[in-house]
Amino acid sequence: MMLRERWYERCDPLQVVVTGALVSLGLMTLYSASRSEFRSQLLGLGLGLAAFAVLAASDYRLLARTAPWLYGAALLLLLGVAVAGHSALGAQRWIRVAGVQVEPSEVAKLFVLVALAAFLSSRGRLGRRDVVVAIAIGGPAAVLVLRQPDLGTAIVFVALTLGLLFLAGAPRLPLVASVAGGAAAIPILPHLLHGYQRRRLEIFLDPTQDPLGAGYNLLQARIAVGSGGLFGQGWLHGLQGALGYVPERTSDFVFAVYAEQFGLAGCVLLLALFSVLLLRLVRAARLAGDRFGELLCLGVAVVFFIQVFQNIGMNLGLTPIAGIPLPFLSHGSSALVTELAMLGLVQSVLLRRPARYNPPPCLPPPIRFRLSSSAEASSSA
Amino acid sequence: MNGRLVAFSLCVVLAAGGMTARLFALQVLDHQQLSRQGIETRVRRDSVPADRGIIYDRHGAQLVVNRPVWSLQIVPAALPGDARVRQAELALVAGLAGVSESRLAAQVAAAPDLYLPVIVATNLKPEVAAILEERQPALPGVELEAAPLRTYVDALDFGHVLGYTTAAGGGSGKAGVEAGLEALLHGRDGWQDVETSSAGLVTRVLRSEAAVPGDSVYLSIDAGLQRETAQALRAAIASANVKAGAALVVDPRTGELLALVSEPSLDTNLFPAGISIADYARLLQDPGRPLYDRALDGQYPPGSTFKMITAAAALEAGKITDQTVLGCPAAIQYGGWVYRNWAGYDMGPMTVERAIALSCDTFFYTVAERVGDTALAAYARDFGYGTAPALEIPGTAGGYVPDRAATPGETLTMGIGQGRLLTTPLIQAMYVSAVANGGSLLRPTLVDRVVDPAGRVVAAARPSTVARVPVSAANLEVVRQGMHLCLDDPHGTGYQFRADHFRQDGGCKTGTAQYGGSGTDLPTHAWFTFFSPYDNPEIAIVVLVEGGGEGDQVAEPAAVQVADYYYAHRAQIRSH
Repeated sequence: MMLRERWYERCDPLQVVVTGALVSLGLMTLYSASRSEFRSQLLGLGLGLAAFAVLAASDYRLLARTAPWLYGAALLLLLGVAVAGHSALGAQRWIRVAGVQVEPSEVAKLFVLVALAAFLSSRGRLGRRDVVVAIAIGGPAAVLVLRQPDLGTAIVFVALTLGLLFLAGAPRLPLVASVAGGAAAIPILPHLLHGYQRRRLEIFLDPTQDPLGAGYNLLQARIAVGSGGLFGQGWLHGLQGALGYVPERTSDFVFAVYAEQFGLAGCVLLLALFSVLLLRLVRAARLAGDRFGELLCLGVAVVFFIQVFQNIGMNLGLTPIAGIPLPFLSHGSSALVTELAMLGLVQSVLLRRPARYNPPPCLPPPIRFRLSSSAEASSSA
Repeated sequence: MNGRLVAFSLCVVLAAGGMTARLFALQVLDHQQLSRQGIETRVRRDSVPADRGIIYDRHGAQLVVNRPVWSLQIVPAALPGDARVRQAELALVAGLAGVSESRLAAQVAAAPDLYLPVIVATNLKPEVAAILEERQPALPGVELEAAPLRTYVDALDFGHVLGYTTAAGGGSGKAGVEAGLEALLHGRDGWQDVETSSAGLVTRVLRSEAAVPGDSVYLSIDAGLQRETAQALRAAIASANVKAGAALVVDPRTGELLALVSEPSLDTNLFPAGISIADYARLLQDPGRPLYDRALDGQYPPGSTFKMITAAAALEAGKITDQTVLGCPAAIQYGGWVYRNWAGYDMGPMTVERAIALSCDTFFYTVAERVGDTALAAYARDFGYGTAPALEIPGTAGGYVPDRAATPGETLTMGIGQGRLLTTPLIQAMYVSAVANGGSLLRPTLVDRVVDPAGRVVAAARPSTVARVPVSAANLEVVRQGMHLCLDDPHGTGYQFRADHFRQDGGCKTGTAQYGGSGTDLPTHAWFTFFSPYDNPEIAIVVLVEGGGEGDQVAEPAAVQVADYYYAHRAQIRSH
């Protein structure tokens, strides 16, 4: 008997459930922090769900052919920001499209991810040259974003490029060499960084040296997290967040606002949800029908991984302050749309995999196949 | 599953585990400490200054007003975190308030507690306060506060008496009555614990304790007499073409000060809002030294105004009687030195009464030599010399009494109030009062009564005698007669009163005290001491003009003016 799975059997419903939970927690936190940003996030959610549905329904393989165009568009967008960008808080990150502020670096994440996946999947076994070319693809985007200046997104591009190379099986030596090369560049980074970025790096190393300036953010975030305790102050009862002590409380430090209200229990729940989502993305990569699909899923996993742990780490004082939004929680329509679009892409990969690669979660397929064929055999005998 | 996917999955689990461990540390282990830190950040204890008590004159004329003024405060912790935004805001605020931007930044940077407001400008003009108040919501960390500012009604006439408050310590008295009665005037400051937003705006009051207003003080000073005394003294100083002096009016029956003036005075209204460095430097560099209260703290040789003590000592010690007649030559020789009378001719033999009236120096040289240095010093102490009088306000000095003469001649010069002997105008006033009232050395007092906010009198002045002067009533009467003669006798040095057709009787004594070395032709301080009426005296007046020359020419006219004013307004001054 030919096994034909329905679409709902092929997709990943757990991913949808986990994402739904994360989006809900994000909306609750935003509601507690700022009503106006909550409302604008609802608009982003609408657009994001549409992007998710459209990308899940369409064939991801079409993207492989348009990858060079998408990549070109990504670079043009980032250049456009540099030329015609709208600045806020001392950084040019936004452009205006039909009266709506769009953050091109978010969209560029998706496009560069597609370009990298398309290139790496077009190669067989990856060699040194491929590593160089991949870095040549991801590098310009990172540099353009760094010039905005947006250290956080630049880190995402670097992590995406190197992480995807690693997961795609790039040879160890050039990979280690490029990581080492990047590490060697860190000492000169302070000279490339803008004053406030450098300051943030210094403050990370010693937050007490400037309790009023940049260290204030870190200290207040830590106070908010610690005030949460085991079960939190309760939703809408976080004073540090509500009274404005937590800086950037709807974007970079939304986690601190969440942690104050929901406590350790809520934070563990959040970490569990993100971990399940990441592991489901790895699973999707394993089930993908082709190399391109597999690399798409892994790229999405890398992007989410770096964003989740860099952001939460920063909130907890484990990693330096670099403005990376926390997926689904931080306010930002462009980011939310991009994140949901990425998950739509992953669903598209799952929906279009061949049936034989779909083992049931508990029982290995050969056993089930053998049972059914033996039953057929006995009936014919 | 290939190894790298396993590694990645492991990374996810390890990262989540690491974050959980960190969360456990912050939210469970450090929970108490961080919660407390959060409360410390959000909750601030604001002081609620008590309304400072008012100071009135003896009749209830208000001498100081608590005028509401706006001050600009900055809570450093509530300023924007971004250095550039913060700098821009401080620049804007400095521009609006009209203060120096660099000074503002320095004040904020030097704040000892980041969560307590720093006062960066006070006494804002109403229009400036209005602009700042309007823009305040967009200026995190900037606060406007309306607080009462101490304002002195006649700052120059009451300068040293009232003293002043300074902005430091929430407006505490630093001189004069403001300092002396600080504990009563201040009241008890309250406080409130307020929860604030990061912008420094108060979101709610958690706990509070109300302030207790300060008590009001009624001085024994008569405002009108004080103004007249200040004006008369200024005229005397101007007439002598010098800079400084002091004048006091005392009730010799009670020790109450009715007027207390030191010139040059100072504009005490410069202080309560915080005096500028330039203004303070001007006060410090003024050659007249206006910060110095000469009435209480100025130490001068008493000159001839000391002669009543010399006379009393000699009478009491039996060295002379009221009938003893001694010569008054132009000079006497003693121990190889020549001691001169102020007059360059022999004034003829005279009794002690007449010697006081004519202020004969040579008479008193002889008398002092008979009394001796130690006895003379002891009598000086009995009349209050050498001990700082206990007044309600700080800063009284005690003068100096040389108990042993350094040279045999010093006994002679001490007899006419020269040498190392020093007194203060306040000591002089109490000494003249003791002579006037028949021998009671009184404690000077400046405060009539203290009234609490509910209107109850919590303290009232009572006359208090420091000591009885060890001089018999009869002998003291001889001295009083001398002073009376000084006023009445055609040759007495109190001629100005007669020239001015002063109708009351009393007693007086001039003084022209040499200072700045020994010899002749030295500069002199002009003294004048006076009491009136002769029987049961009501007022004693002391006038000093620093470096003013002759007491009868310079100091006396001022005393005449004050005495005239007193008698012209006697009923009003004495209505109580």
